[in-house]
Amino acid sequence: MSHVDGRRHFVWGVVGALCVATRVHAQGAPPAAHEDTAFDVMNVLSDHGLHDLDHENWNLYGQTTYISSWHPSFAAPYTNANGSVNSLLPAPEWSFTDSFTVFLAVRLWPGAEAYFVPEVISERAFSGLHGIGGAIQNFELQKTGSVTPQVYMSRAYIRQNIDLGGKLIEHTSQPTQLGRKVKSRRLVLTLGNFSVLDFFDRSSVAWDPRQTFFNMAFMTYASWDFNADARGYTWGGIAELDWDEWSMRIARTASPQNPNVLPIDFRIWEYYGDQVELQHDHVLFGQPGAVRLLGYRNNVNAGRFADAINTFAHDPTKNAAGCAAAGLYNYGSGNVTAPDLCWVRKENDKIGLGINIEQHVTKDLGVFARWMTSDGQTEVDAYNPADRSFAFGATMKGGLWRRPFDVAGTGVALSWISSIHAQYLAMGGVDGFVGDGHLRQGAEGVVEGFYSFNLFKALWLSADYQFMWNPGFNQDRGPLHIFGVRAHAEF
Amino acid sequence: MPSSKLAALAFVAVVTIAPRAVAQQAEGYLVERFYPSAPGAGWFVMDALDTRGTFGGAVSLTTGYAYNPLRVGTGASEIRVVSDDAFAGVGMAATYDRFRFYINIVKPLVIDGQSGTFGGYTYTGPAVDLGTHPDTLSDTGFGFDARIYGDPRGPLRLGAGAQVFVPNGQPSDYDTDGRVRGMLRFLVAGDVRWFTYAGHVGVHIRPRDDSPTPGGVLGSELLFGAAVGARIPVGHEPLAVIVGPELWGESAFEAFFQSGATGLEALMTARLESTRAEGPQFRVKLGMGGGLVPELGTPEWRMVIGVEMFGSMPKNKPRSP
Repeated sequence: MSHVDGRRHFVWGVVGALCVATRVHAQGAPPAAHEDTAFDVMNVLSDHGLHDLDHENWNLYGQTTYISSWHPSFAAPYTNANGSVNSLLPAPEWSFTDSFTVFLAVRLWPGAEAYFVPEVISERAFSGLHGIGGAIQNFELQKTGSVTPQVYMSRAYIRQNIDLGGKLIEHTSQPTQLGRKVKSRRLVLTLGNFSVLDFFDRSSVAWDPRQTFFNMAFMTYASWDFNADARGYTWGGIAELDWDEWSMRIARTASPQNPNVLPIDFRIWEYYGDQVELQHDHVLFGQPGAVRLLGYRNNVNAGRFADAINTFAHDPTKNAAGCAAAGLYNYGSGNVTAPDLCWVRKENDKIGLGINIEQHVTKDLGVFARWMTSDGQTEVDAYNPADRSFAFGATMKGGLWRRPFDVAGTGVALSWISSIHAQYLAMGGVDGFVGDGHLRQGAEGVVEGFYSFNLFKALWLSADYQFMWNPGFNQDRGPLHIFGVRAHAEF
Repeated sequence: MPSSKLAALAFVAVVTIAPRAVAQQAEGYLVERFYPSAPGAGWFVMDALDTRGTFGGAVSLTTGYAYNPLRVGTGASEIRVVSDDAFAGVGMAATYDRFRFYINIVKPLVIDGQSGTFGGYTYTGPAVDLGTHPDTLSDTGFGFDARIYGDPRGPLRLGAGAQVFVPNGQPSDYDTDGRVRGMLRFLVAGDVRWFTYAGHVGVHIRPRDDSPTPGGVLGSELLFGAAVGARIPVGHEPLAVIVGPELWGESAFEAFFQSGATGLEALMTARLESTRAEGPQFRVKLGMGGGLVPELGTPEWRMVIGVEMFGSMPKNKPRSP
């Protein structure tokens, strides 16, 4: 198979033969940009005979993405009631992110590769990234972001590939992937600093949020509280076993020192996140598809909702407003009538189980559905506060209307919280993202539609619309409309 | 109250309270004095000026530790403001013939130190480690070097280089000045049989000037340095070990070569490298040494390890169809 064919297979999500390649992409790895016609560094070098894309010892890619979102005013009978601080503000708001990433890969010795990915981001979130649960409108938003650009190391890791036989499959040159042939049966060990999403739940239908859905609810399971620092990255190790159409991967990763903060606790045998994923790739009616089962268990420093409620019931002085005076890590609520998780944080477990099914209906059209349930007893530690989530949707390439690099998509995402989580919020409690002071529990939902218009092979301009209801799992607030635009370039 | 008692109380108040009241907070700055050379440049700080071929590139990984790079005061009043400084750096370079563009990215691993007051200034020791700063990067350097005269393996090579450092990180962590910096250097290098040498002299354009803060940045500086080594072939493979000292320093123009404004540091270095003229090559290097004049951020001792992979397309190679 030539690298040209391999790339096209990747672009259209031929999961069966190229499943391994698709899932090792970085979060920002775009498939369409690296067609032979794309204007990127490696293709230019290859075109001039200065680089061999099929047997790479190194590669270098980059991307930049600007996303702007705006929502008009929406109905809200109350906002930040009784000193709570986590409401989405009902007045019109503008949010943006602007990111720039460089992906460097180097072969070290046979089977070993090193990856280094510096990144810079500037951002402004709606309401300080408060008030939305599982459906944050822009997947690039980070908890520690600011308008002032911040440079940081997003990934730095080593991968060791151990071939175990089988047929040869081609890995195309991509961000965080060297172009080369590997065996279909192999063990891959990864160690270092990465995003769990670089390796787990790699969808070939809703593949890259920088080209497809804007909303975070479509990036992965909204209720998967995977270990990460406040930017979305962590440290740890991953073992992946690929055996033809079957794959299994397990990971242990470090957790944040406190929920939703940047500092990482490296006591990885004490506080950790474990995840296991089993994947099967198939071909149905001539089109590729995949089924993935994912389970996780976090053992982290976090608070249980029931413990916070009981503590407040026995001693009302242990309320949300008292956390700061007691020197406890908290989210700044001034509500003296509400319980708070700050009083009860300790080593706690959180578990969840999910399934992701994706299927290509035609060469250009793919559909997907994700469902996950977590135990719902413990606060959000790293991702978002949803306890159960379901999302489905479709993406379509523009081959039908002779714009093969354009992408259109639509999807629906729903997320729920547990009854004890709802009770805690209804009493005025807050977690890392939500808490209006009151709550009339409801499923937070979003419908999204987007169109990405390709210009010059390596530049996409996108328009996006999202309709969101029950923001923060609160039926009393919303619905709201969110309009977005995106400019994305790859090189 | 008798006036004598009032006077005594006033005296005590002046003696005990006044000094604290006037102590100013000393700002942090980039304390690291190890300015790594461009990826593929051979030496740790100097530049071998031996880029060749047509299109090529280099990647480097450098990690090091410095002990006590910033101390203020002496004797019992000494404060080790930065006592431990460990970093890891990644560099990438693109080369063409005699020209090199590169980027150096440095990640602080540990920056630790003591807090205290000296000379009317309060110093807050940094507390940086991978846990508290899992993804922090310090200043990123973008550079350009050119060999102006001489062959890649000739006895005399002359060149020039420029770097711009974009600030990143927090001055309070002593990993950045918080301002854009620049360097202009004239470079010299050469090889005569087994003997190899390199040197530089230049200017570090540094807008920060914290004088008269003891131990603080004193503005722009003169840079100087030299390295000499012996090239020893290894076995029958195209490998060689280069052993020799590398010395570099800086002096702030504000107090040119005066005490407290000049640092001088030396490393004993050894590196194993392939000696092929073309194709993929590697280099592993180790350096240990310390401050000959341990001031202005120069540590008491330092250890550095580096790995470089580099290569270039040979001249006159036909292009692939």
